[in-house]
Amino acid sequence: MEPGIALALDRVIKRFGEFTAVDDLSFAVREGEVFGFLGGNGAGKTTSLRMVLDIIRPTSGSISVLGRSPGRQNAPVLGFLPEERGLYRSMTALDTIVYFGRLKGMTTAAARTEGLALLDRFGLSANARSTMDKLSKGMAQKVQLATAVVNRPKLLILDEPFSGLDPVNQGLLEDEIRRASEGGATVVFSTHVMQHAERLCDRLLLLARGRKKFEGNLEEARALLPARLSVVARQSLADAPGVATATEGRDQGEGWREWTLALAPGVQPGSVLEHCSSRAIPLRRFEERRASLHDVFLQLVGPEEARA
Amino acid sequence: MNNILLVALREYRQITRMRSFWLTLLILPVAFALAPLAQRFMEADEADRVMIVDQSGGAAGQALDQRLRLDEQRRVLNDLSRYVQRHKLRTDPRALWSQHDRWYSDAEVARFEAEGGLDAALRRIGPLVPAGTPDFDKPEPWVELVAPTPGLARLTGAPLQQRIDTLLRPEGEEARRIDYLVVIPADFATTGTIRLHTAGRPRAGVVTTIQDVLTRSLRERVLVENGVSPAVAAAASTVTPALLVSQPPPGGGAREALLVRSILPLAASYLLMMALMLSGSWMLQGTVEERSNKLLETVLAAVSPEELMYGKLIGTVGVGLTMIAVWIGCGVFAAYATQGAIADMIRPALAPLTSPGTIVAMIYFFVVGYVAISVFFLAVGAISDSMNDAQGYLMPIILLILLPITILIQGILDGGQGVGITVLTWVPVWTPFAVLARLGTGIPAWEVIGAGLLLAAFVVLQLVFLGRLFRASLLATGQKPGFGELMQRFRRQKA
Repeated sequence: MEPGIALALDRVIKRFGEFTAVDDLSFAVREGEVFGFLGGNGAGKTTSLRMVLDIIRPTSGSISVLGRSPGRQNAPVLGFLPEERGLYRSMTALDTIVYFGRLKGMTTAAARTEGLALLDRFGLSANARSTMDKLSKGMAQKVQLATAVVNRPKLLILDEPFSGLDPVNQGLLEDEIRRASEGGATVVFSTHVMQHAERLCDRLLLLARGRKKFEGNLEEARALLPARLSVVARQSLADAPGVATATEGRDQGEGWREWTLALAPGVQPGSVLEHCSSRAIPLRRFEERRASLHDVFLQLVGPEEARA
Repeated sequence: MNNILLVALREYRQITRMRSFWLTLLILPVAFALAPLAQRFMEADEADRVMIVDQSGGAAGQALDQRLRLDEQRRVLNDLSRYVQRHKLRTDPRALWSQHDRWYSDAEVARFEAEGGLDAALRRIGPLVPAGTPDFDKPEPWVELVAPTPGLARLTGAPLQQRIDTLLRPEGEEARRIDYLVVIPADFATTGTIRLHTAGRPRAGVVTTIQDVLTRSLRERVLVENGVSPAVAAAASTVTPALLVSQPPPGGGAREALLVRSILPLAASYLLMMALMLSGSWMLQGTVEERSNKLLETVLAAVSPEELMYGKLIGTVGVGLTMIAVWIGCGVFAAYATQGAIADMIRPALAPLTSPGTIVAMIYFFVVGYVAISVFFLAVGAISDSMNDAQGYLMPIILLILLPITILIQGILDGGQGVGITVLTWVPVWTPFAVLARLGTGIPAWEVIGAGLLLAAFVVLQLVFLGRLFRASLLATGQKPGFGELMQRFRRQKA
């Protein structure tokens, strides 16, 4: 394994009969990174994560998890929160956490101590002895999160972790992801909600139909789309160098008009501002409109795929 | 701790925390405990009052009267013999009550009665009874013979019927009715007909006794009328063979009482079936819960499908063995609590356990059989998304397993020598039941070993294919596999 690489997939292919779910996928996640795994439904995110966990095996290619092959031997250093969540209904919250801690190689005492601390942190101390069927859905999801992090994993894998969570629990989950990352853990999470990825990810990977479309950080992703400027000026800036298109907007009165400028690829907004200054073109507003990850996603996978 | 054991422990705890587990666990001992009470409730709380009206001259009525008295004395003698045996009283070995587990002939019972009956016996036994030993509890009589009212034997027709009606349905709260009124008419010898009047539906035992006694009487009379001396006729009518059954047991030699020896092996076979059906259903419920509650992926991130499968099997076998242990424990407790009365009953049934080979065979076929059948439940759980799905798959499997077993048990009770029983012995899904059931009636050692090896090979094969099915099916929710898909899953060696 390359030093500093927590997870690496190399030319991984997974076929189910005639259907190729993951197609020649290669990427690497650095230690301590929060890594987003983005893609619409059926993009191959869950299949890839299941291969990392050895729940299913790749048809070809290789996977390295913390320098080792995928397998249950990695369980003590892995945490996993699946997209489809559920726990044993007749087990208590604490017993559930202890059980999964034990399956990950912890002693009963250590799992119990950590479980109680987690329940306390999640505001569930009073429910430690309640069976899962007595807990609300939100509470059960917190317990499920606790089962994933009870062993303080080095690599935390979260499959669509925000789906089905109310805003309060989404905030709690974001805090837990940051906490894990600050504690030195590598976090890989899949999502199709771009805002979470924008807020949390150091780097991200974009998948469509099992194939990699992009790997890099947020800035690099945004750089894939031309920058846009919102300008209020007395004259058109369509002729300014680097401006691809200028769209006329609302009349602001006294000769002022709003313009939306699309810059040519690679052109920095600063060069347009510099052009206006040097030509003494008066401006009332000069605002850069940064491309969102959603825009990048739409651009890369197409609207059809994005809707899936 | 090994993940397999952790899964097994969780499975075990989950099942043993279910209310249905405790209910089922306790139902059997409670049913056994209540059975004697229920039987007592079912039985009449008072002796049947029998009146014999003999208009034919007295011999037939006298014979019936004597037979009913002897039967009552025989019950007293039997109970006394058990009392002596249970409390290990050192009585005169020639005394009838010192001779246990045997049938007392009419002559012996008559001798017992002639020698003073129970009172005289207790006077002889009394000095030998250690302090603290409970007193002998004389059994309640089943029959009370009531002497016919004067003149009744001379009545016929309507007056007789009127009198009979009064006796069977007396008026007044204090009046005690007659339960059975036997009228032997004057022409009994020629017509061979008697009339039995009852206050309710007659018990089969009473009818059989009357039939038996009067048949002998009639036969004796016919012989005498045809020139046979009365003594020879009397002897001819009472002569019966003394039938002793001898047959080779599993290890050679000769033993008696086929049915008694079959009780324990048959019970083991029956318990295996019951424990399997119950614990298998609970395991199935747990597996379906894991699939329907979508928690399998969480589990499979930490344990392999094979570990999960073996853990579930071990947990279920543990549940089954716990149930058996509790039931056996209850039996032992009952044996002690009843001061040996139950032990007296089951002691002959423990005869097969005198051979270590039989004990080993019973344990082996019980445990391996348990695994073999549990695998079916687990396989159904692995491919079912809901209990409804599971019931659909399970019903034919249960029928396939259970139907031949009911036939098997009947076959064993009938002697256990049929070809069908041999065939069932060699079909692995029925092998455990067949071998367990046959251990009491005699099964050659080579057949036990051969069927045991075949069963072991079958279980290994089952586990290989179940492992594949388990791995291929666990995450395939929402798809009801057809036959072709199932075959593909069995062939698939990796996910």
